[in-house]
Amino acid sequence: MKKIITFFKEHPWFKNIWIFLAVMGPGIITANVDNDAGGIATYSLAGAHFGYTLLWSLIPITLALIIVQEMCARMAIATGKGLADLIRENFGVKVTFYLMLVLFCVNITNVMAEFAGVAASLEIFHVSKFISVPLAALFVWMLVVRGTYKSVEKIFLFACFFYIAYIISGFIAKPDWSEVARETFLPEFHFDLKYTIMLVGIIGTTIAPWMQFYLQSSIVEKGITPEDYKHVRLDVVGGCILAPAVAFFIVVACAATMFKAGINIEDAKDAALALQPLAGNYASWLFAFGLFIASIFAAAVLPLSTAYSICEGMGWEAGVDKRFEEAPGFFGLYTAMIVIGAVSVLVPNFPLLGIMYFSQVGNGVLLPFILIYMLILINDRDLMGEFVNSRAFNIIAVLTVAVVIVLTLVMVFLTLRYGLG
Amino acid sequence: MKLFVYLSEILGSKIIDRDGKVVGKLCDISMRINTEIYPRASGLVIEKGLFKHKYAHVPFDHVAQLNDRIILNVLAEEIQFQNKWWKNDFTLCVDVLDQQVVDTDNHKVVRVNDIHLLRVDNRLYLAHVDVGLRGIVRRLEWTLFVDAVVRSFAPKAQYLTREDFISWKNTQILTFGRQKNVLRLDIARKKLSQILPADLAEIMEGLDIYERLSLFKSLEVPLQRRVFTDLATQEKQDLIEQMSDMEAADLLENIPADEATDVLSTLSKEKILQLTRRMENETAKELRKLLGFAKDSAGGLMTTEYLYLNRDATVADAMAMIKDHVNSPGNIYTLYVVDDEHRLVGSTSLRRFINEDPQRPILEVCFPKNVFVRTDDGMEEVALLLEKYKFLSIPVVDAHEVLQGVITTDDVMEELIALAWSKYKEKLV
Repeated sequence: MKKIITFFKEHPWFKNIWIFLAVMGPGIITANVDNDAGGIATYSLAGAHFGYTLLWSLIPITLALIIVQEMCARMAIATGKGLADLIRENFGVKVTFYLMLVLFCVNITNVMAEFAGVAASLEIFHVSKFISVPLAALFVWMLVVRGTYKSVEKIFLFACFFYIAYIISGFIAKPDWSEVARETFLPEFHFDLKYTIMLVGIIGTTIAPWMQFYLQSSIVEKGITPEDYKHVRLDVVGGCILAPAVAFFIVVACAATMFKAGINIEDAKDAALALQPLAGNYASWLFAFGLFIASIFAAAVLPLSTAYSICEGMGWEAGVDKRFEEAPGFFGLYTAMIVIGAVSVLVPNFPLLGIMYFSQVGNGVLLPFILIYMLILINDRDLMGEFVNSRAFNIIAVLTVAVVIVLTLVMVFLTLRYGLG
Repeated sequence: MKLFVYLSEILGSKIIDRDGKVVGKLCDISMRINTEIYPRASGLVIEKGLFKHKYAHVPFDHVAQLNDRIILNVLAEEIQFQNKWWKNDFTLCVDVLDQQVVDTDNHKVVRVNDIHLLRVDNRLYLAHVDVGLRGIVRRLEWTLFVDAVVRSFAPKAQYLTREDFISWKNTQILTFGRQKNVLRLDIARKKLSQILPADLAEIMEGLDIYERLSLFKSLEVPLQRRVFTDLATQEKQDLIEQMSDMEAADLLENIPADEATDVLSTLSKEKILQLTRRMENETAKELRKLLGFAKDSAGGLMTTEYLYLNRDATVADAMAMIKDHVNSPGNIYTLYVVDDEHRLVGSTSLRRFINEDPQRPILEVCFPKNVFVRTDDGMEEVALLLEKYKFLSIPVVDAHEVLQGVITTDDVMEELIALAWSKYKEKLV
């Protein structure tokens, strides 16, 4: 028996797997949280209103996501510092403060959307939001305040598993797979205003400012060494493929049912309800369950990510492993965001839609700054040493960032001009 | 005129030449690198141009007046501007402001929000770093507004009067992440050399792993070795795991072999091989050999660093050998004499031959080989022999009488005390 265990521990092939399992986490978690309440709503609408015709866009989005996230992971490993740390040290306190201020405002609206997602998904199971939202908020709060980095990460990784619900409901919806394949790999672009708005909406929801901060900080907090870089890269790339894959099945599920039946939906809850007559109870429940997991997961990660970034930038103590008294700024920010997010959902007639509108614009304004700062930092040989961008990668990275920035600015313009969707 | 001035207050102020012409604005201050506790400003970095910035460095001797206006005693035409920013000086904005520093008094890592400068006789000294909230607000230029708001709601708020300063004497720049910046390292080293190694080890225990590594890397190599041996076992292990293999091997190679073995024995087999592969062949062989032995046997206790002479050496050779090793950490007063196969012949000590004729063969002033232990002997036996003969160290030989290493009294004491303590505790329970 002992021999077998040693074999599994020492054999180079298995050894690599053990190291990967130890390093795994930040990349997969970050990418999956990206499929939050807002993301699921966007993908559902894309499927319900445009059928399979937007599926192709997930491939370039995946590539862009990999390129951007890999740079963050590399910075984390080369410098041992978070993105906010690096921005503060290289661009000064003013830039950092205002970036953090916008990030805080944008993320707090995202947290509101997550709690709205918790409320909506559980209403499908006939749970009142006055019960579900306070309980969810308490759970999320306890998770980080009472937990350690390791326990929190394990719970987050476990939550990632539940996204399988969407993959199953994608299959239950019985799509025409040949059509799905054709639309995915043989793209055709529609020069239609609504189609364009949807397209940039998908990009905007997939590449968000908070992700860059969260990924980098969590790799740093995990204490990963340069020797483990190739395993980290695998984690990041894996996550960046997994998340759009889940999005893919959401689009497919909605396209195969609502688009075919010509049903108009407004949000993710509508999508779950509309699935009931079209694909049966199970598909609907799975969809709602997925929304619940995604919302509560993001409701924990977003405040955490924001608290990390702000504390790094301002030079306050931060870390899940610290006690409340050691890092009052960190836990204070975290608590405040959860309380505000949860309360806003319970207040009657709260202008959530108006705030979402603001959030989308804020995200779009913030992202170009962050991507440009990232490119400057990752090309600083002084800072990155051997991990600096290679010339070839730099061309790809600059092109990707340029395209993402242009599309983001288009999104801001369209949002300001036509409102949400 | 105020005695103290904040860097944020003078940054960006106009610089005027002897004739009252504007030269540019202040964008940084360079400091002298010396061993003074509070470094003195050596010059101003001036920036001009709206879109395409140009920079110039003016030595502090050319500053005629420095209060709300900065006036130079030279003419604007005499100042040479360059297109590029040079990073080879120690300057406040690049190296201190917004960077993380270690507060060596409270063993904490903090971020510098502002810098408090002391102004004496038209000279500037770096006195404190401001790590408080007021520093951030001042940098954002919101002080008046925020103070007014706070005062109207809570006139007695701590915020209004509290200054979170750390004396420059008690701050330490962290150099991690700036691998190529030798200069920061230089300043860091000068300051660190004033702190005792044992205190440094204690400071390091209060930091997280990246900060710890960064501080450690800023130490000069001899100091690194001393601090490292003062760390707790777990911390040694963490540090080695975070370093690159090259750095770790380099460090382990240069600390006493028994210390290195202790650290290595906590690592995985593969890591040990990776590290020893990067060491000098001899050291690697020794360490591997040491690792092969049981921990409480003579082989595990011994160090392979000892002084030895061939049997046909003279007293002069012995003296030369001791002189050569004055700086090495181990016991240098005992020399072992071996034959061509490295078999132990005898031992001698400085006391025995210091007054002898330099030409005399060493064998004539040698204790015969009668006190030694074998590699697989237990610790108790080693302790008994050391106690009986009152030796500082005892040679260890293998089954073929080949000298493998020596055990010093302090190595044994350390183990024995631990053993005695654990037995004592058992009795208590």
